[in-house]
Amino acid sequence: MKILLVFIIHFTLFAEDKTALIKVTGMTCPMCTTAIKKSLKKVDGVIKAKVKLNTAVATVTFREKVTQGQLLKAIADVGYKGEFISVK
Amino acid sequence: MPLHNMYQKVKFFKYSGNFDASHINRKNIYDAQILYAQWHASDTSKQLTIEMEIETLDRSVSLKKIKKASQANLPVPEDVRLYLQPTTHIPTDGKVALKTMEITKGITDRFQKVEAIYNWITETTFRDPSIVGCGVGHAGKMIESGYFGGKCTDISSLFVAFLRSAGIPAREVFGIRVGKSHFSKILGKSDKHGFADISTWQHCRVEYYIPGAGWIPSDPADITKLELGEGLKYSDQRVQELKKRYLHSWEMNWIGFNHGRDFVLYPEPEQYPLNMLGYPYGEIEDEVLDYYSPKHFSYRITSQELGLK
Repeated sequence: MKILLVFIIHFTLFAEDKTALIKVTGMTCPMCTTAIKKSLKKVDGVIKAKVKLNTAVATVTFREKVTQGQLLKAIADVGYKGEFISVK
Repeated sequence: MPLHNMYQKVKFFKYSGNFDASHINRKNIYDAQILYAQWHASDTSKQLTIEMEIETLDRSVSLKKIKKASQANLPVPEDVRLYLQPTTHIPTDGKVALKTMEITKGITDRFQKVEAIYNWITETTFRDPSIVGCGVGHAGKMIESGYFGGKCTDISSLFVAFLRSAGIPAREVFGIRVGKSHFSKILGKSDKHGFADISTWQHCRVEYYIPGAGWIPSDPADITKLELGEGLKYSDQRVQELKKRYLHSWEMNWIGFNHGRDFVLYPEPEQYPLNMLGYPYGEIEDEVLDYYSPKHFSYRITSQELGLK
């Protein structure tokens, strides 16, 4: 008996996630970090966001489809200004 | 935790809860007494209950005593000099210094400078009800923007910034209203049994220091609160009466906690510095709980007037 085995292996290729460091100006208190973090996480494709008051830096991990403009807008929407330090 | 001093005596303080660790410390530059509690990650509801009994005394320093001490022009003691220093939110140079010089032009006496600044603050600032909580207390931003609307921390911080810039030690006192005011229900109220839910009654006041007279109580923000709450003008008699009193006194339907501005708590939190500690402060991992919202944090603070014992 001959059996033809056909394996169909489906690979879904994900683009690599990116991580951005964004300098945030205008933060005055710890609550500011929560507001920015929540706003960034609302962006479809943002996986993780961390904001530190003492360094005034937001670290955002996001899918490739997310634009830098979307991240800056999310920060601006809650009253702060963002400036990219790096994207990897 | 509450201050313990001549006008506010802590009779007892106890706390309980299902925390995994807790302690009380003063490890910060303002010697603020902090209760720290920590919970490990779990599905269990985290609880902390604090009970305290505090006896307060209305506080007033006589104008005669203040003026006499001010005229003596004694040096500022070393342990008070911290309250001459600028902080991130209380700058004492630049536009703050220029405005201070303008307000106090030609005045050399310390207390007369205080009066001139107090007059300017109470007349120029106004209560902006749209500000969240007590406000951030960013004196530098207020003077830069020229917008003098705010809440108690904003107005108090501006007063403190001008005073420090004029060489007069000054500090905010962060606390909470605890019941009925005899001057106006706008400044505190309670039910017929003396009970009040004070979860959102945080209030910031001011003290300034005149060597020889000590720390003197003041509360310019409540002048603006009275105006807005009772629909009065600055020139109205009741406003002027309260203004006169609150240059050098406090009605003590209020409990003071600390004087901290732009400082770091111990153990070091994920987010720092803290611009002020007028509310319970909590973090879950790196996220700050919304201390402006008792419902979401969540916390509840109540007061029960016990009367004189």
